[in-house]
Amino acid sequence: MRNKILFGVGAFAMILLARNIYVIAGLPEEVNQGAIFKIIFFHATMAMTALTCSFVAFVSSVLFLITRKFVYDEMAVAVTEVGLAFLAANLITGSIWGRIIWGIWWTWDARLTSALVCWLLYAGYLMLRRAIDEPTQRATFAAVFSIFAFIDVPIVIFSIKWWRTQHPQPVFWAGGSFPPDWAAIFWLNLLALMMVAAVFTAVRLRQEAAQREIDSLRRMAHAL
Amino acid sequence: MAPLLLAQVSPDDAVLREIARLQRNFHFLSYGLIVAWLILVAYVLLMVSRERRLKREIASLRAMLEDKTVNRRG
Repeated sequence: MRNKILFGVGAFAMILLARNIYVIAGLPEEVNQGAIFKIIFFHATMAMTALTCSFVAFVSSVLFLITRKFVYDEMAVAVTEVGLAFLAANLITGSIWGRIIWGIWWTWDARLTSALVCWLLYAGYLMLRRAIDEPTQRATFAAVFSIFAFIDVPIVIFSIKWWRTQHPQPVFWAGGSFPPDWAAIFWLNLLALMMVAAVFTAVRLRQEAAQREIDSLRRMAHAL
Repeated sequence: MAPLLLAQVSPDDAVLREIARLQRNFHFLSYGLIVAWLILVAYVLLMVSRERRLKREIASLRAMLEDKTVNRRG
């Protein structure tokens, strides 16, 4: 039953994404930037999905430290990994946009640098988990590290307000303008990507449960 | 000086340059979308291979435990 729900949500998300790509392709080009502006429909939504994953990882890590229930640790690692994939796609699409609009692939601007640091921190989180064998110690250290890494998330979001950056100002919450029909497609695309992230997280959670079963089977094998 | 420079750029050149700019713009949009999807597809493939490895590991551990139990009884 759970597999069927996952498959249904995944299929719906893929249909929605395919429909969105078709609609986005038919939109007129932006006056100043041309066709490349349309990358915002994926670049910004992928960043929002990744940062939502970071927030869920933060809440799960706090809950693990309070309750010591491993289900929260599993949730934290699952969403962190999924968020890392989305953040990587966000950084690369941003770099491609920058090559056309700024003429450069990368600049050490506050937004770009803080997003890269965020990616490196969460990659470090996954590497830290691999380095510790004992499950309780691994979960505790990882939870503390995840809470520490989350400090970077508000810096990524507000860096364009706090400092003068080369990155454009936000379209939705800083007086920017976006045609209402374009905004509808943007939010639908965000919904589709969030659904994809939810399916990835559910699959990853199932893998964590399988890993836990392997650990317990290994303990039984040692005991015999 | 300025009229001389302007005279060297024919209207056709300007149109061709604009077409080239728009094409390059569109190509880079395509690259961006392709890379974004490739990353997600690569992640899906990674999860599929991990799932297979986990299933194999569980099956082999169960078989080993069964063997050990039979040997102890025997």
